[in-house]
Amino acid sequence: MTFLTHTPGADVVIDARDVEKTYDTGNIQVHALRGVSLQVRRGEMVAIMGPSGCGKTTLLNSLSGLDEIDAGTVFINGTDISKMADNKKTEFRARDMGFIFQTYNLLPVLSAVENVELPLIVSGTRPRVARQMALDSLSRVGLRDWANQRPSQLSGGQRQRVTIARALVNTPSIMWADEPTGALDSATAKEIMDLIVELNSTANQTTVLVTHDPKVAARCHRTIQMADGLILREDSQAEMAAAASGS
Amino acid sequence: MNELFGLSMTYIAAGCLAATTAILGFVALIAIRNPVMFKTGLRNIPRRPAQTSLIVIGLMLSTLITSAAFGTGDTLTKSITSEVYNTLGEADEIIQWDTEKRAAAVDQQLIPMPEVESWRREFAGDPDIEAFAPFISERFSVQDVDTRLNEFSARIVAYRPEDAAALGGIKDLKGRPVELSANEIAVNKELASEIDAEVGHTLVVLFEGNPVELRVKAIVPNNVLSGTFETSQRQGGVVSFAFLSDLTGKGNNADGVFVTNRGGVKSGMKRSDAAVAKLEPVLDPTAYKIEPFKQDGIQMAEMFGSIFTTVFIVFGLFSIAAGVLLIFLIFVMLAAERKPEMGMARAVGAKRSQLVESFLAEGMGYDLGAAVVGLFAGMGVTWAMMRILDASAGQDLGLNLNVAFTPRSLITAFSLGVIATFIVIFISSWRASRLNIVSAIRDLPESHPPNPEDATLTGYIRATLNGVMVMGVPLGASLFFFGPVGFLAGVPLVLIGLISPWFYVLRGSNFAGPRDHRTGEGPPRWPWITGLAVPVIGSALILPWYFIALFLVWLTRDRKPRRVPGWLPVAGIVIPPLGFALTLLQDARARVNWPAGTGAALGLTGVALVYGGLQHNGQFFFAFGISLVVFWVAVSLYYYRVNARMSFTLTSVALLAFWYLAPSGKLEWLTGELNGDIEMFFLSGLVMVACGTFIVVYNADIVLPLVAALGSRFGRIVPALKTGVAYPLTSRFRTGMTMAMIGLIMFALVVNATLNSNFAAIFLNDDTLGGFDTQLEVNPNNPIDDITAAVASTAADPAQVVATGENRFAYPFEAEVENRDRKKNDEREVKDFSRYTFIGADDAFIAAVRLPLKFRAAGYATDRAVWDALAGGSGFAILNAGATVAPQAFGPPVEAGLLYLDPLEAGFEPFTLKLRDPGTGRETTITVIGQAKEAGETFWPGIFVSKDTLLAAFPASRGQTFYFTLKPGADAEAFAKQLESGLVQASGESLRKLLDDQQATQNAFMLVFQGFMGLGLIVGIAALAVVASRAVVERRQQIGMLRAIGYQRSMVALSFLFESGFIAVSGILLGLSLGLSLAWVLFTSGALGEESKSFGFAVPWAELFVISTIAFASSMLMTFLPARSASRVPVAEALRYE
Repeated sequence: MTFLTHTPGADVVIDARDVEKTYDTGNIQVHALRGVSLQVRRGEMVAIMGPSGCGKTTLLNSLSGLDEIDAGTVFINGTDISKMADNKKTEFRARDMGFIFQTYNLLPVLSAVENVELPLIVSGTRPRVARQMALDSLSRVGLRDWANQRPSQLSGGQRQRVTIARALVNTPSIMWADEPTGALDSATAKEIMDLIVELNSTANQTTVLVTHDPKVAARCHRTIQMADGLILREDSQAEMAAAASGS
Repeated sequence: MNELFGLSMTYIAAGCLAATTAILGFVALIAIRNPVMFKTGLRNIPRRPAQTSLIVIGLMLSTLITSAAFGTGDTLTKSITSEVYNTLGEADEIIQWDTEKRAAAVDQQLIPMPEVESWRREFAGDPDIEAFAPFISERFSVQDVDTRLNEFSARIVAYRPEDAAALGGIKDLKGRPVELSANEIAVNKELASEIDAEVGHTLVVLFEGNPVELRVKAIVPNNVLSGTFETSQRQGGVVSFAFLSDLTGKGNNADGVFVTNRGGVKSGMKRSDAAVAKLEPVLDPTAYKIEPFKQDGIQMAEMFGSIFTTVFIVFGLFSIAAGVLLIFLIFVMLAAERKPEMGMARAVGAKRSQLVESFLAEGMGYDLGAAVVGLFAGMGVTWAMMRILDASAGQDLGLNLNVAFTPRSLITAFSLGVIATFIVIFISSWRASRLNIVSAIRDLPESHPPNPEDATLTGYIRATLNGVMVMGVPLGASLFFFGPVGFLAGVPLVLIGLISPWFYVLRGSNFAGPRDHRTGEGPPRWPWITGLAVPVIGSALILPWYFIALFLVWLTRDRKPRRVPGWLPVAGIVIPPLGFALTLLQDARARVNWPAGTGAALGLTGVALVYGGLQHNGQFFFAFGISLVVFWVAVSLYYYRVNARMSFTLTSVALLAFWYLAPSGKLEWLTGELNGDIEMFFLSGLVMVACGTFIVVYNADIVLPLVAALGSRFGRIVPALKTGVAYPLTSRFRTGMTMAMIGLIMFALVVNATLNSNFAAIFLNDDTLGGFDTQLEVNPNNPIDDITAAVASTAADPAQVVATGENRFAYPFEAEVENRDRKKNDEREVKDFSRYTFIGADDAFIAAVRLPLKFRAAGYATDRAVWDALAGGSGFAILNAGATVAPQAFGPPVEAGLLYLDPLEAGFEPFTLKLRDPGTGRETTITVIGQAKEAGETFWPGIFVSKDTLLAAFPASRGQTFYFTLKPGADAEAFAKQLESGLVQASGESLRKLLDDQQATQNAFMLVFQGFMGLGLIVGIAALAVVASRAVVERRQQIGMLRAIGYQRSMVALSFLFESGFIAVSGILLGLSLGLSLAWVLFTSGALGEESKSFGFAVPWAELFVISTIAFASSMLMTFLPARSASRVPVAEALRYE
């Protein structure tokens, strides 16, 4: 079963088919994904929800190429990344994807701007250009004045903004976010989501995010509900908004 | 080896064993009292086998280094001792002519046999003295007629059969008795192998130019019965008494008498003192003296072993210090790793003491395993070092190096390893237990509530007061330098220092709390239990002081005033007992800034040490004191929140400047003359590397922009480079520790290698040859009168010879010189005359010699002028470099040798020296007009006079050596061999070859020594591996993120390698720069001996390059595995990791 609200066509950015992933912990085998198929179009913002252990993060990791899959295919922008060599995949990630994590995952030893420019330098951008792009990116998230602070000198919300700036800096076509507001209070979480939504709409970036929070999911175009490694159903933005206001 | 640092090894071993037993008892007690925590600790050991292996390797190094140092000492002691016992056999003492009692020519120094008989009768049945064995001894040139090989100077001895029997009898190699008739000889093993002699061969023995034929009757072992009296010249043989007596014309006289004591070879020696005491009164009225030469030989062996062990231990201290840093680092990291677990344990009710116990159990598991491994590894290292030494320099040493370990040394090495590790584990366990439960569970950095007294004078005074109390022992002890007043203040401080740690133990318990907080738990019991369980430690270090502390805390716990007036703590620092009371009255909740307090206490100790150093002219105390005071300044600035970079950089630079100025004597105008010893190397290394490390870790961030600037050149590796530098600079503690470990060892290696190569250059350079190529040493009994004819009689081509010179030698037993500057001799006595070597050069030698001079007397414009003045029995003399010596500010103290005169200077006024002939007592005078350079010491270690002057002053001197300058391109070695094969009575050698051999021996020692010190590098490298392994675990999530944003696997690995590389390179450069600069200062300032002052300093780049490359390559190799595992971290899993 493939979930796609919009009409499939050339504008499909993520096209996953029958993705399976099993974790072998020695004595026990955990079937994290049991044949998941999913398509996401350019500019779409999709939330993945579900109870703990249902396979949300595994799906995000598998789609983004952070994790290997056991079976199935994952096409990103028409390229099958499931068969790519690690180095190619890494380059692909550096060029076409941005990541936001719940725990920020900033390098504590680098300043905000240095953290942001890292993906650019990795992909071969000249340092001076990278620095300027990083500063621009920080400006977009409102942290231009905090560029030289280290992560430990920033608040949780500011750190997440730096993460977003880092995810945006190479203008990726897809942004992956794993619980982007999970570690934030509700006010800061709202600010961050406002930012993500704004960036999604202005830059026409595709965004896939994993969340527990219906309010966050309600800001997305559609929500994938998962359970036991399978996609159960798909909720529209309106349905999620209703659910969120109800909760 | 019986002594180390002047302490009996038995006491050291007993003390170490007692301490180890106490530690094991303490751990056993933990196991009994708290089996759960004990098991919890132990079960951590097998959890990560790789990490456990790394920890064991890290911990074992101290034991390894100690046991290798002891093993070296034991081996050398055992080897020399065996040599002495084997050579001397039953002979315990020797009676010889004493020229100090009665002057006589060498050939007149005989003991009549009836005299020996009278002693024999007198001591018949004596419980200590068993027998007297008179002997005749003479040096002959020997040639094997069958093999045509010769030995120019073999000692041939003769005993009457009954006298030989007293020494065990002459026996062949299979133990069969050998009886010798006239014209028969038993050659010893050494001589036989030298000339390929076999039983039945005919030997020609040359005495005073007359050949005598002897048949080889047997091959016998090398010992006193076969002419081996010393290890440096073993070649010898034994003939019948009547034959040698007739040949030498010595009649019914002996050259000396061996005395054998009752008992065996070893047990007899114990009666030496008694035998000497009995014989001295008998010999007193005669011209003879008795020497307990076996006992002296054994004592020399002990001393030699002890010196080697001391040197190895002192230089091993660098590695041991680095090892201690490593142990601390390992346990700090382990504590960091266990932090969440420990936090959980505390949350569910575990006490701090239980955490300490659990951690101690784990640590002791590693500790014991590491000590055992280290002990065996140390034995292996000793074996390897001795094999290398034996293979490359064994022959020159004249020793058969058999690796030996005494149980005492093994116990000491094992125990020292256990004790050192235990202390570090205990401190780090205690540190680890002081965690905040919430921070620990969430693995967050420790945070403390703000202290209102921080950076205030009150807080500083409180800290100082507490610091002084805790550091009472060293502070009190250092006050003793101030004489009676210091003693009065020092004693109470030492006592307070013994009590106060227990006070702080109680202060942290419920027992000392205010009445309303107390729950009736009582004082901690472990000091009681430990004190009772280990009576030795308990009765001295625990129970009395704990009792007093208990009593004082009990008295004062309800009497704490709300506020102590500010002036009272100041008075408390000045008057220690008052300070103690004040410390007791302080509120336990008022946090003490311990770094400031300890810094202040150490600073005050430093002041006392500076005073002590100046009072006693001791460089060590002075320099150590200054270092502590500067450390105090740094800590105080830091306390007052002065910028850390500025505080530590400025104070470190100041201290480094001091360490360059003090050893070079540049501060003498202020301090007066200060004397240092070998421990100065260790102290300088420790302090300078600490300063260097501070400067690097606080300032290395300036390289970050440089790294960024590299971007355009190196493109994609820049991010790896950037994180590789950024991470170490963020973890200053780890980085500093690791850098210091590598820096410390590199410093030791560099200083050692540089100074050695420079001193080798002074003593073993082309000047050493003196312009000659070949030497021909002649048997003293068969002098060569016409060298031109002698050369012509051999296969050597006289046309190759450009110049020939002759030296006559008067050796110390033949010559005496006035002790002009009244210096002490080896026995610390000031005698009127000292024994010394004199060299009489003939005019041809004087004309050809090119030995440069260090100083010329006034009136002599060139070296040549000085040499020319020497010619023709002028009575002028040139001193050798070793005849004068200046005090040293650094390095080992100058021991009095045969003769030492005050140093000379350029253009000195010629001065006279009286010479005395020990044979006749006749005195002559010479005038010193120059001093040769150090290079001359290698082949001419004596005072040069003309041949005529020498023969006039010492007519009996018989040593003769010829020197040849050959045409360019001539083969000096072949020439020497041709001379030797044509002249039975002479031994030819190429001077260059002798020099090369000497260099090779020295290099072998250096190799072994540097290899030993290089062991410490393993410490630094292991530290890098530990840090890198830990970093992989700690940064798992960050690695995942880096991979997610586009870091290739190789870039992650590269980042880790850069990180280790940055630390390794910093440590290596630190050691290199500090070591080289200190070596330069020491060498050029003459701090290690005046001779280096005027000699150009050279950097042994090739050697340093090899050392640095090995250090760097090993570092990279050890980091490779963690770097690889970091690069293989699964991205998704890593991102989930917490």
